[in-house]
Amino acid sequence: MSKTEKFREKINGIIRAEEPWEAVGHTPLPLVTDLRNWDFRLMKTYRPFYAPFCDLCCLCNFGKCDLTLDRKGACGIDMATQQARMILISCLMGAAAHGAHGRHLIEHLIEKHGENHPLDLGDQVNVEAPIIRTVLGLKPKTLGDLRRAVEYVERELIHLVAATHTGQEGSNLDYESKAFHCGMLDHVALEACDIAQITGFNYPTSVVETPLVELGWGTIDRTKPVILLVGHNAAAANSMTDYLRRKNLLDKVELAGICCTALDTTRYNEGAKVVGPLAQQRFFLKTGIADVIVADEQCVLTDIPALAKETGAALIAWSDKICYGLDNVTEKETGEIVKMIAGEKKQVLVLDPDKAAQAAVEAALALAPTRKKTILTPEQAVEIAGRCRKKCEKCNQNCANLLPVGTAVSQAGEGNLEPLADLFRKCTGCGKCEAACDFNLPILKLMAAAAGAEKYKVRVGRGPIHDVEIRKVGSPIVLGTIPGVVLFAGCSNYPDVGDVAWMAEELARRKYIVCLSGCAAMAAGMYKDADGKTIYEKYPPSFDAGGVLNVGSCVSNAHVVGAAIKIANIFAALPGRANFELIADYILNRVGACAVVWGPYSQKALAIGTGAIRWGIPLLLGPHGAKYRRLFMSKKEYDDWTVIDGRTEQLVDTREPTPEHMAIVVETRERALPTMIKLCMRRNDTSPGRAIKLHQYISVYKEHLGTLPDDLQNFVRTERDVPLVYKKEVLAYLKAVGWQPKPALSLPTIIGTYETKVPVSATLR
Amino acid sequence: MPEGEFLFVPYYTVNTLTGTKAARVVSDPVEAAEIIDRARNPLYILGPETITSEVGEKLLLEYVLEIVRANNILTCATAHVKKKMLEFGKRPDCVYDIIEIIHFLKMPDWQGVRGRGSHDLVLFTGVRCDLAERGLATLKHFAPHLKTFAVCRRGHPNADYTAPVIPRMEKWREYLEGIIRGLY
Ligand code: SF4
Ligand code: SF4
Ligand code: SF4
Repeated sequence: MSKTEKFREKINGIIRAEEPWEAVGHTPLPLVTDLRNWDFRLMKTYRPFYAPFCDLCCLCNFGKCDLTLDRKGACGIDMATQQARMILISCLMGAAAHGAHGRHLIEHLIEKHGENHPLDLGDQVNVEAPIIRTVLGLKPKTLGDLRRAVEYVERELIHLVAATHTGQEGSNLDYESKAFHCGMLDHVALEACDIAQITGFNYPTSVVETPLVELGWGTIDRTKPVILLVGHNAAAANSMTDYLRRKNLLDKVELAGICCTALDTTRYNEGAKVVGPLAQQRFFLKTGIADVIVADEQCVLTDIPALAKETGAALIAWSDKICYGLDNVTEKETGEIVKMIAGEKKQVLVLDPDKAAQAAVEAALALAPTRKKTILTPEQAVEIAGRCRKKCEKCNQNCANLLPVGTAVSQAGEGNLEPLADLFRKCTGCGKCEAACDFNLPILKLMAAAAGAEKYKVRVGRGPIHDVEIRKVGSPIVLGTIPGVVLFAGCSNYPDVGDVAWMAEELARRKYIVCLSGCAAMAAGMYKDADGKTIYEKYPPSFDAGGVLNVGSCVSNAHVVGAAIKIANIFAALPGRANFELIADYILNRVGACAVVWGPYSQKALAIGTGAIRWGIPLLLGPHGAKYRRLFMSKKEYDDWTVIDGRTEQLVDTREPTPEHMAIVVETRERALPTMIKLCMRRNDTSPGRAIKLHQYISVYKEHLGTLPDDLQNFVRTERDVPLVYKKEVLAYLKAVGWQPKPALSLPTIIGTYETKVPVSATLR
Repeated sequence: MPEGEFLFVPYYTVNTLTGTKAARVVSDPVEAAEIIDRARNPLYILGPETITSEVGEKLLLEYVLEIVRANNILTCATAHVKKKMLEFGKRPDCVYDIIEIIHFLKMPDWQGVRGRGSHDLVLFTGVRCDLAERGLATLKHFAPHLKTFAVCRRGHPNADYTAPVIPRMEKWREYLEGIIRGLY
């Protein structure tokens, strides 16, 4: 047996190739370079754009090296390649965070239920793991199978990390291809992680109308013992719920959370409260409302020990990712741990989520009666703000979100708290202003006092999109009559927290399917209309035109990519098993979806976004996204938009830049709206579908930019694409700019325009 | 590289902190006007702060449009600036978001806005400072064929030329008016 055959056999064993649910496609368990041609084809149209964050490379002892202009590092690397290397390193951080989270939860749940515990996503979900099926070729049936998926991710990651070492890869395009691979692995990890927790914790699944739960720190009852959960891994929080239930204490203790642990806790316990997105972390910690802080992993402030000491809150860390230098007391009896926390005021590390959970509850019960939880009143805020020196502007100069902090503080000192309350909505809670103020003004506390304790609602994360929903909307999405699916994902590094609700509502009104996850899902709930309603109370939670759904935490992002895959696999009956290129090509050309990370912050969001692009889903980033330092943009009408007509197998120059970019930053929400609409256009749109999309594009553009779109001619293929309401105006415009009709295809594909094992005929169903 | 005073670069540049190319501070608005005047085919990129930020009685946009009119400079309206420009009677010569226009400017053979050939000077005003810095870094590294000038009171080290840091609004107004006077 040749080496290749032996390897193939090994792969066949891992994915149980003998099981005939679908024929195994061309790329089971793809290796680092197996999808390289696909990546290069994408980058031929969507070239990487770099915005260096730093002119230097500081990664080895040859340097540091200045790479300004066309200088090279001592190792030979140039600026573009170095940027791409940094991007890969960042993506690796993100994928590793998700992968390790998934691995941890899967092992935890296997310990509880056994590795043969069957995966059960309810009667509405048959394609249980579209990503794992498409990438690995494996149909996971048990928790043990999810472990196989994560093991594949781990195997690939080691090769990718190795490529970032000095004196390895020397091409920016190859680094980007590796980053794509990393992003794809990230999605495998996300899916494995969320399926594991849905199955292992019995989270909602196969339910559309999940409950509405409380959001905002105003919803927290300070008279009860309060436990604050921070991070992304809900294992300890869910164990806390079990313990409180067993002890009949569920309504006597407040379980409140920040970031994704909060969202995942409400999937297990509807009574838990969501304080808000990551940006609220420092604010809330500073209020001192929490009696016990439980830190798990990812996006947890690294100075929580100091913040906890400031307010007299207890701290338990329970993840090996964040040990804070604390004493590991895992082996001690729970009673003894509680004594250390509540009596000796020690901050501890307990590397067992169940034990950490019990200790947290007991410590909260013991501590709460002894703590005074008074928070700053608006009157006190005015008095303290009066100490501001007004014009020194140190706070402004250090604001990571470029906000006029000093003006707001000084106006507060004069009795007007409005600007400070407004600042609160725009603030990312980094604390840099406060650290810079020479007069030690507690700026964050002042902001919180000015903003008051609002109460909102967020819908509990619902997990996968149902197969029946896919069957229903598959056709209108592919034809373009549902104008698009937009996912608002992650992070809260917003120019303004209100933007997410605004954009989501604008799209829902226009009958887009709006999906949200993680901090974006919380941010969308933090806005109420004149009737006091949040977006979740106003729009249906179904995956259908005009629906607004919270899929869940960060790891639940997988379900939106999964929905796009399911459209190809279930609706269009394309064989998905180990068929990455076929499915991604279908999404790129036919599924009008885009992802938005309006508050880009973490490396995880970068990994998710990079993965989405490899699947053919364009990415729109808010202004902070430029600091990721890499985008993928076309040159619009200047580029070659030739595709294959799947039916005739002929090359056709479509001359239409759709989707226009694969990763772009925009500066304002008014600009984001028309851009999202464009990113949902696909070459496959039928004329009625394109007319609907153009209708939205024109109306939004007119509203916010004042005229017909300047690039309208790029997206009108035939006169039938022109929306009726604007017919006269648009035709006159097209005539004026010398527009010529373009070909419209019913089976556009880029397979066949590059070297691939997938035959063009495979796209034909 | 423009002549003049720059940020300090240590002798052993291998250990330099910020790279070796930093903006020259143009403190004198008359000199700023000269730089603009000298350009053969300049492009002015207008960010959204031009339509939200006031300089004394007027919008920042009004000053920028004065500069544009004085030298008949081509304009690019980013974000949602276009609508406001139209209200002030000026149709932008192109509409892109900031990163998109930078993407084109990187191409040495791009025929430029209105096809008038490549731009030799790109002026920026009103783009979010952090975003502008990234865009200017792109041009600094990947568009050595053009010069950039950040007409921004917060200063931009990644540009070729930058206005100095001008915290006081009154001084900012004087600076802008100085450029306009210099151009007429
Ligand atoms: S890795 Fe290369 S560029 Fe970076 S410091 Fe070392 S020699 Fe210089
Ligand atoms: S805490 Fe808020 S206001 Fe202060 S520097 Fe950070 S973003 Fe700016
Ligand atoms: S740094 Fe402090 S004293 Fe100075 S303006 Fe800001 S808040 Fe006021």
